[in-house]
Amino acid sequence: MTLLQIDNLRVTLAAREVLAGVACALAAGEVVALIGANGCGKTTLLRAALGYVPYSGSVAWEGQPLAAIARKTLSQRVAYLPQAPTVEPGDTVLDVLRLGRSPFGSVFGIEREGDETIVQTVAADLGLLDLLPRPIESLSGGQRQRVLLGRCLVQTPRALLLDEPATFLDLRHQVDLHRLLARLARERGIGVLMASHDLNLAAAHSDRCVVMKAGRVLAQGPTDEVLTEAVLSEAFDVPIRSAQIDGERVFSVPSKIA
Amino acid sequence: MRRFDLTTLLLLLGASALVWAIAAGLCTLVGSTGTIGWPSYEIAKLRLNEHVLIASLVGAALSAAGVAYQAILRNPLADPYLLGASGGATLAAYAWRLGAFGGSILAAAVSPQLAAMIGATAAVAIVLAAAGPRGRLDPVRAILVGVVVNSVCGALFLLLNALFRDQPGSGGALTYLSGDIQTTASHAQVLISSLIVLTGWIVLLAMTPLLNVVRLSEDEALSLGVRVQRARWTGLITASIMTAAAVAVSGPIGFVGLICPHVARWFVGNDNRRLLPVATSLGAIGLAVADAIARGLLRSDSVGTLIPVGVITALVGGPFVLVILSRMKR
Repeated sequence: MTLLQIDNLRVTLAAREVLAGVACALAAGEVVALIGANGCGKTTLLRAALGYVPYSGSVAWEGQPLAAIARKTLSQRVAYLPQAPTVEPGDTVLDVLRLGRSPFGSVFGIEREGDETIVQTVAADLGLLDLLPRPIESLSGGQRQRVLLGRCLVQTPRALLLDEPATFLDLRHQVDLHRLLARLARERGIGVLMASHDLNLAAAHSDRCVVMKAGRVLAQGPTDEVLTEAVLSEAFDVPIRSAQIDGERVFSVPSKIA
Repeated sequence: MRRFDLTTLLLLLGASALVWAIAAGLCTLVGSTGTIGWPSYEIAKLRLNEHVLIASLVGAALSAAGVAYQAILRNPLADPYLLGASGGATLAAYAWRLGAFGGSILAAAVSPQLAAMIGATAAVAIVLAAAGPRGRLDPVRAILVGVVVNSVCGALFLLLNALFRDQPGSGGALTYLSGDIQTTASHAQVLISSLIVLTGWIVLLAMTPLLNVVRLSEDEALSLGVRVQRARWTGLITASIMTAAAVAVSGPIGFVGLICPHVARWFVGNDNRRLLPVATSLGAIGLAVADAIARGLLRSDSVGTLIPVGVITALVGGPFVLVILSRMKR
C-alpha cells in the first residue's frame, strides 16, 4: 500500500530552486534511503513531504492531498525526526516518550490508560525501560537517539521520516539503529523514509534508494539496482568503487583516485 | 512518575492550594508595623486583604507567566518582564504621577494602576508586533526587541525625571523602579486584576500540554501536531496580560517570575502540566512571605520605613539566579 506519493515536487527557498521536479514514493513496510551529497535537497524533500516549506507539485499521504490533511491528523499518521532534535535538559526519558502522545492529547493534557500502555510498550521494545527516570542529557548518543526514535514510535505512526538519524552515532550504534528500522518496517508495516550519508548501511538495510543530485532524482529503485558505481560517482562528484565482501556490497572512495 | 490523569491533576491543584493556604495563614501573623503574634479575627482578615492576598495574586500571576515565557521563548532565564511589561508599566505610571498627560480627559479617567496596565500592555504589544512580522513569532527576535523596549522605557523614565525635576528619593521616582504591595489599589482594581489573572491562568493550564511541545524546535512541534505559531501567540499574549494585571497592582516586582518556576521544577520536573500549578502556588507563597519579611523588618530599629517587597525579592533572587546558572553549566 502506498503511503506517500510525491510528483513533480518543486521548492524554492531564498530565490534558489532547492527541489526541481522530484517524484518518489513510500510504501508500507519498506525502508527507503534518500542518498545524495550535502545540499542536494534531502532534508527539504522530507520537510516538503510534511508541508513545512511552501511547495508546488503534488504530495499525497495515503491518497489524500497533503493540503487537505489537518496538522493533527498528519501527526497521528507520520512521525518525523529532524537531524538535530531538541534535547531539553531536565526532561526524563519518560517525559520525552510521553510527548509522542501529543497528537492524541486532550485539553489539560489528561492521559488515557491506553497512552501509558503505548509508552511502556515502546520503551520495552527499544530496551528503554531501565532508562525511563533518567534525564535525557545523561544518556549516551546512541541511547538518546533511541529515545527520540521512541518518541516517534509512541505516535504510533504508519510512516517514519528520519533525517540522517545515524549522524552522531558510532559504528555499532549505527548498525543497531538500521537493524531496528528494518525490523519496524518488517514487523509493523511502518514505511521508513530516511536521508542517509552512509552508503554501506543504506545498501545493507534499505529496500529501495532514491539518489538525488542538485534538487533532482538521479536514480531510484531497488537498492541493489540503483546503488552502482556510476550512479554514486555522479551523485557525489567523486569516483566511488564497490566490492563484494562476504556476499555484501561495500562502497569506498579509493584514496589514490580521490 | 504516575500517569497524568484527572485524579493527578486534581490532587496537584488541591495540594498546591493547601500549601499556599497554610503559608498565607502564617503570613497573617506579621503585622503592618512588624509586630508578630496571633491576631484577632478582624486583624487577620485585614492583613489578609491588605497584604497577603494581594501579594499572593501578584506572585501567582508572575510565576505562572514565567512558566509560559520560559517554555515559549525556549529560554530558562526568561521572565515575565522580558518583553517590556515592566518598562512600559513603570514609565506609564510615572508619567501619570508627573501629570505628563496634562489635564486631559485621559489623565482624569486613568488611575496609576490603570496607567501601569496600559503601559505594560502597550510595551508588550510593540514588542510582539516587531518580533512577529507576518505573524511568525521568533523567540530570539522577541527577546532582543523586548530588551530594546525595556531600555528605551527606562531612558524615557529618566528623561521625564530630569525634565520634571522630580526628587529621586523615597516617595518620588525611586518608588516606581522597585515594585511594592500597594494598599492604595482600590478593592475594585484588585478584583479586576484577580479576574484577569484567573482567566489567563485557566487558559495557560489548558495550554500546558502545548507548552511542553513548543519547547522543541518548530519542525518537531509541527510533527507532534501542534500549530506552533498559534500556541506561541496565545501563550505569550495570555501571560503578558496576566503580567500587566499584576504589575498594575504592585509595580514591577522582580525575580518571582524567573525563580519560582525553577524552584517548582525541583519538585515536579519539567512537565508543564505539573509545573504550572506548583509554580503558581510557589509564586503566591514566595511573594506573600517576602511581603511578610518586609513588614517584619520594621521591628528593627535600623529600618525606618517599609522596605519595598521588590527589594527583598531582588536580594534573594539575585544569588538564586547564580545558582540556576551554575546548575545549567553542569
